[in-house]
Amino acid sequence: MDDRKNARRGAADIWIRLAHVGMHPDRLRGLLDKKSPAAVLRSIERGHISVPEVARLEVAVPAAERWEQLRRTGVAFLLPDDERYPERLRELPDAPPFLFQRGASFAGTAVAIVGTRACTSYGRRLAESYGQAVSRAGWSVVSGLARGIDGAAHHGSLLGPTPGVAVLGSGVDVWYPRRHKPLGERLLAAGGTVWSEAPPSARPLGWRFPPRNRIISGIAHAVVVVEAGRQGGALVTARIALEQGRDIFASPGDVGRGSSVGCNLLIRDGAFPVHEADDLVECLELAIGEPARTPDAELPESAGPDPGVPDTGVPIAEFLAGMGADPVTGIAELGRLVSQGAVVLDGGLVLARKSQ
Amino acid sequence: MFAVTNSVALVGVEARTVSVEAHVGGGEKGRLNVVGLPDTAVREAKDRVLAAMAVSGYRFPPRSVTVNLAPANLPKSGSAYDLPIALALLAAAGEIPAGACEVVALGELALDGSVRSTRGALGAAIVASDLGVPCLLPPGAAPEACIVPSANVQVVGSLAAAVSAALGEANFPAPPVPKPPQPDLPDMAEVRGQPLAKLALEAAAAGGHHMLMTGPPGGGKTMLAKCLPGVLPELGEKAAIEVAQVWSSAGRPRECLTRPPIRAPHHTATTAAVIGGGSGVPVPGEMSMAHRGVLFLDELGEFPPHLLDALRQPLEEGKVTIARKGISVTFPASVQLVAATNPCPCGFDGDHRQSCVCTDQAKQRYGRRLSGPLLDRFDIRVTVDRVDPDALMGPPEEPSRRVAARVSSALEAQRRRGRRNRDLGRRELDALDITDAAMRSVEGALRYGTLTGRGFDKVRRLARTLADLAGSEKVEERHALQALVLRGESQDRNEKGRRDG
Repeated sequence: MDDRKNARRGAADIWIRLAHVGMHPDRLRGLLDKKSPAAVLRSIERGHISVPEVARLEVAVPAAERWEQLRRTGVAFLLPDDERYPERLRELPDAPPFLFQRGASFAGTAVAIVGTRACTSYGRRLAESYGQAVSRAGWSVVSGLARGIDGAAHHGSLLGPTPGVAVLGSGVDVWYPRRHKPLGERLLAAGGTVWSEAPPSARPLGWRFPPRNRIISGIAHAVVVVEAGRQGGALVTARIALEQGRDIFASPGDVGRGSSVGCNLLIRDGAFPVHEADDLVECLELAIGEPARTPDAELPESAGPDPGVPDTGVPIAEFLAGMGADPVTGIAELGRLVSQGAVVLDGGLVLARKSQ
Repeated sequence: MFAVTNSVALVGVEARTVSVEAHVGGGEKGRLNVVGLPDTAVREAKDRVLAAMAVSGYRFPPRSVTVNLAPANLPKSGSAYDLPIALALLAAAGEIPAGACEVVALGELALDGSVRSTRGALGAAIVASDLGVPCLLPPGAAPEACIVPSANVQVVGSLAAAVSAALGEANFPAPPVPKPPQPDLPDMAEVRGQPLAKLALEAAAAGGHHMLMTGPPGGGKTMLAKCLPGVLPELGEKAAIEVAQVWSSAGRPRECLTRPPIRAPHHTATTAAVIGGGSGVPVPGEMSMAHRGVLFLDELGEFPPHLLDALRQPLEEGKVTIARKGISVTFPASVQLVAATNPCPCGFDGDHRQSCVCTDQAKQRYGRRLSGPLLDRFDIRVTVDRVDPDALMGPPEEPSRRVAARVSSALEAQRRRGRRNRDLGRRELDALDITDAAMRSVEGALRYGTLTGRGFDKVRRLARTLADLAGSEKVEERHALQALVLRGESQDRNEKGRRDG
């Protein structure tokens, strides 16, 4: 019994040292196909496998010191046999051999919401409302904490009760972009989880992001692409998700609009087009079943009458014209909706307050 | 052998009397010396003066002559002192009676003895009126002096005419100013649709609130701004003189003196051009030229941030103070700021007919150019969308003069209370005469987090103005509700930027 425990401990020691080399996941997998982890580690130490000088220094740090560092910084190191390791990831052919984790352990069903970093305000609003609706329905929102759609989806999910998941391309203690630090910290404070294959304090290097996308779609039951250009990470995620057999949803946009081309092409190729947030929830229920855990029943206080505006808002002028009354009375009526908390005015639009 | 006459120097917009003294001393050399902080143009006066005197048939004594411009520590600039120097010289040399010097004179002399126009005529008229003496002005500059009714303005075309006018031998009264053509500004009747923007404009005029319009290109933001002077009441005599003084000191006589000015500097204008400044004696900038009128900044987001920040203090104080070595000048700058901006670099963010092609980062960069403290000055922030084609073809709408009548009575109500609504502080707002229903609706917006503490004050100020426009003593519910919409953006733009991250 003790022997088995020791053996496991020894294996974990090798893995943690290997993880701190911070190699590209594909390269590491290629090496592991041929050799045992201990052999790979030995080859790196002896210089048979070329790694940057810094990485070789990292390898020299003894495992005990690594465990101590992780313990001190509250980072967990998960191997696939760990019960905290997400179950759905284990099934992947290219499942990460290890994961660094910050925050609470993830349990439940996740929906990925991804999209371009260079999003429009339309995309941002959609992502926020999707994130909120998904979280309210009881699914976790998983995304990459990037600029643009990712960040908006996380923002939205914080308005719902279900904790979210962020999968980073940097170390779990490095927030990128830096201004998303408060967002990441709020996610953790709300019981969310942050995962990364990269060792702590790893910088957000460009090559780390494509492999991280397979984790996002891997743990998700469905992937929602909100805005995506013709090229970019969001489409990479969608392609991987397809290979992984995940359901793909895409929000349509104007034909020819750069930030929607990717989504429109996904729809052409068979992705489910999604309409508003409520519609997304219904589609998700059909596709992946009702969420395992019942969502928090408690909703924010009633926000006045339903003004009947879509999630992406109505221009103020159009809203006034639709009120029918003489304009000056119409303005006062709009003011009444504002004072009752039913709507907010933002960027020339009347928005239902629930979508904020 | 000594004579003194008067002229004028402008310090900022203030006209100061300058004594032009001439002394013809001994010696046989024809030497002319000008002292009293003259600039190059003033120092060159002696050559023009001597030539003009010779051509006009006057003899200049072959003596040593000193001309002093007093007070000696006030810098003098420009060619306006030619005429007074000539008069003082002639009197000191005994060529003309000393009585010819009891005037205020202004004008540049040409070598043929004719008098050319210079700036500062209005200041000269004010000084002459104070001293009770005739005011000799060149023909081109005389019209701007007509705004001072008590001044005896004599329009002199030549040095000889100036002498006879000064002696009272001839009378050259200023011709009556032809009724200036109405400036070509749009009328509110031409603005179709846009009920929200029109209500905002009316409230801005009535309460003096600074206003920011956001919207895609082609929505009519510029046209709306240009309607504003037309709904403001005409300037009173005192205000008209104030405005004319600023314009006069900038060397830009105004055509229509009673209409509130509107200035629209381009976003490439320098800080000195907008705020005021320049080398030597500072001249007023666009902001002072818009005194008691409208300063319209189109494409606010394109103005350099340091210029926008430089606007803040003058906006608060209603004046611009420019300090230079040895001289500090204050120009009035009590303006109503109207600004227009696109929502994003491409201009179509939020437009439902044309999609915005800007990335979030580009938008954030654009939004960050407008600093929070500046945005904070705007009580009114409205969106001006492009107009529905049906409305464009509709009948003309309410004309400016009808709106102006409501604005006048609203301003009258504020005068009775003693304070313009724009300037109402929190203490006055807490004592606002407001119905319970109105207060409840404002509190509602506060409770639902769509209104911040700062926005609370703005909404109450605006509600007071809307009530004044409706001729209501009390602020009623509908005024408060409309104010909530005119306040516009529910969230502070800066907060939003931070949230979006």
